[in-house]
Amino acid sequence: MTGSVHALIQGVVLGILTGGVYALMASGQTLIFGIMKVVNLAQGALVILAAYLSYTLFTSFGLDPLLTIPLTTVIMFGLGVVIQLVFLRPLKREDSAQLSLLVTFAVALLLEGFMSVVWKTTYRSTNTDYANSSWTFWGIQFTVVRVVAFVLSLVALGLLFLLLNRTKFGRAVRATVQNPMSAELLGVESKRVAALGFGLGAATAAAAGSVYGLLYPFNSGSHYDLISELLSIVVLGGLGSVGGAVIAALIVSTSSAVVATVFSPTWSSFTFFVILILVLLVRPQGLFGTVERGAL
Amino acid sequence: MSKANRWRRSAMVAATSAAVLLLASACAGTASSTATGGAGSSSGSPAPSSTAPLVIGASVSLTGDFADSGKAVKAGYELWADEVNKKGGILGRQVQMKIVDDTSSPTQVVTNYQNLITQDKVDLVFGPFSSLLTIPASQVAKRYGYAFLEPAGGGPKVFAQKLDNLFFVQPAPVVKSGDVFADWVLSLPAADQPKTAAYAELDDPFSAPIAENIRARFEAAGIKTVYQQVYPAETRDLSPIMTKVAAANPDVLVSGTQSEDAYSQVKSLVQLKFSPKFMYMSNGANSPVEFPSKVGAANVNGIMSAADWYPGSPAPTSPAFVAAYTAKYGGSETDIDPSSAEAFSAGQLLEAVAAKTGKIDNATIISSLHQGSWPTLVGNLSWDAIGQPTGSFSLIQWINQKLVPVYPADVSKATPVYPKPNWGG
Repeated sequence: MTGSVHALIQGVVLGILTGGVYALMASGQTLIFGIMKVVNLAQGALVILAAYLSYTLFTSFGLDPLLTIPLTTVIMFGLGVVIQLVFLRPLKREDSAQLSLLVTFAVALLLEGFMSVVWKTTYRSTNTDYANSSWTFWGIQFTVVRVVAFVLSLVALGLLFLLLNRTKFGRAVRATVQNPMSAELLGVESKRVAALGFGLGAATAAAAGSVYGLLYPFNSGSHYDLISELLSIVVLGGLGSVGGAVIAALIVSTSSAVVATVFSPTWSSFTFFVILILVLLVRPQGLFGTVERGAL
Repeated sequence: MSKANRWRRSAMVAATSAAVLLLASACAGTASSTATGGAGSSSGSPAPSSTAPLVIGASVSLTGDFADSGKAVKAGYELWADEVNKKGGILGRQVQMKIVDDTSSPTQVVTNYQNLITQDKVDLVFGPFSSLLTIPASQVAKRYGYAFLEPAGGGPKVFAQKLDNLFFVQPAPVVKSGDVFADWVLSLPAADQPKTAAYAELDDPFSAPIAENIRARFEAAGIKTVYQQVYPAETRDLSPIMTKVAAANPDVLVSGTQSEDAYSQVKSLVQLKFSPKFMYMSNGANSPVEFPSKVGAANVNGIMSAADWYPGSPAPTSPAFVAAYTAKYGGSETDIDPSSAEAFSAGQLLEAVAAKTGKIDNATIISSLHQGSWPTLVGNLSWDAIGQPTGSFSLIQWINQKLVPVYPADVSKATPVYPKPNWGG
């Protein structure tokens, strides 16, 4: 009996720590939706691309995948801006929300093809000397990488919060979210904000990708499973709400880890979808979503 | 329109677009063909049949899901054709491989073999990659009376067809590949044998059944099952399952794995600091390069798996195969996919039949291979009436960060190490 209680506690710890990784990935996704009403199906592919970047920096140059996060963040930011300028800006505003699904899906396939050519399709894994270490407290294992990921996501989300609430750019972003037309009338260049906002969303994929590569083996096709999980998290949290995404990520990963540990892994994704459906029945806008186009 | 509605519509759009894309890619799959190997100096006019090239047709997956493995099979076939032609061919006839792409599609593979046999009138055929494609392809071969030597279709449904023209060119059916581990464990002195066992199995026809076969043997021998779990293929994080394994504290962990999940299992166990006394993984751990690069070289020692061909294989023709492979394709011995060796072995069987009978036609091949034992790169092969190989795989173990055959005695190069050393971290 004590064995299963111990396993349960271990499951909860695993779930909460893994939730940090998902929160990191989902925050960019929900931010992009919040700013532009674009459901970005390429976010998963961006995370995998960032994982490849930090993998390559580690294997070819010996650079630590956690220390290269600032570098990959800059690269991913630039890539995000380019994707917005090339693929999303030409879309007409009226139907851009729906067209953007197809366009970002195309971007995801494009990135997948690019990654299979450059890195082939064999599984990769960033194996630093600490990749498999863990700290033991009261007989419970705290995986180093997961703890780091958790802290990193807190830092990244904190920075994101400061950026959105304490800077002029953040005000412009929030103004665009609330009402693009009046924002433009008041002198906000909403096109510029959209490009930078997409870049920001892509930039969060950098830290997420580094951590992902440390935790899981991945290849170019890994983004399919990832994007379905991210979309579920974002919908559960409420589209556009960064805080909601964090809470939803914790709910998803903790519930699936606990169900997998206590009952069976076969039921873990089922359980999550039951939660998702129940929440949507009661609150169709998600946990922290708003019914009107409104606050972030 | 509420957000939920918008989302539902968006999801519909995504689903529809995905369906359209799938359809488009399925339609785009037309066969492309390459003819390789061969004498090169065929002089226009049809030669008499005794010196005409021996044309062997095969459909392999050069694109689609099985492309990586399909290319490895192609490499094996073509390498064998080159090698046999250097020795003067088969019964004086140069071998010419005609290889077409089936895009990993079970319908395209039927068209391909139909065309190879009726349009191109190839003399013989070799099999495609995967059980999924081998089943329909072998039916075509059966219809036209062709011998079907296939190196990569070893699932139960292949043999359920009960075809007498089919020969699976591996030492044992896939689901029995782990039996050699049970053989070894049960051959240990009673005091050394594990008392409790845990089974973590990927829900896949080539993973879980291997572990289940071992479980049946272990339970019959009185080894108590303390945990058994089949997990779905999309399980990315094996940590929760490994948490349960660690809590059950088994002497032996038997993992029915593919590749990604095998890496994830080991990483999770290291993180959880649980190291069982014995550990067997059906797949993933048998790759000399991939496995240590994914889980860390310090964590491989003591883990066991099964293989038919592996670097340093004791098969007499292995050194020549490795030399020819690296000369033709570059790389080193550890880069060779076992699928290439299995494909090469299909060719070796033809050579052996021709050498023994002085004939090389489908009826002779079928009747000859049903009798006796045939040496190949992947061991001495023999088959029952429905093409199931009757041998066993070799038990391999990571010892000092190298994969070494340890059992049975005729292939063993080292004493098996147990209990398994602890993780290196």
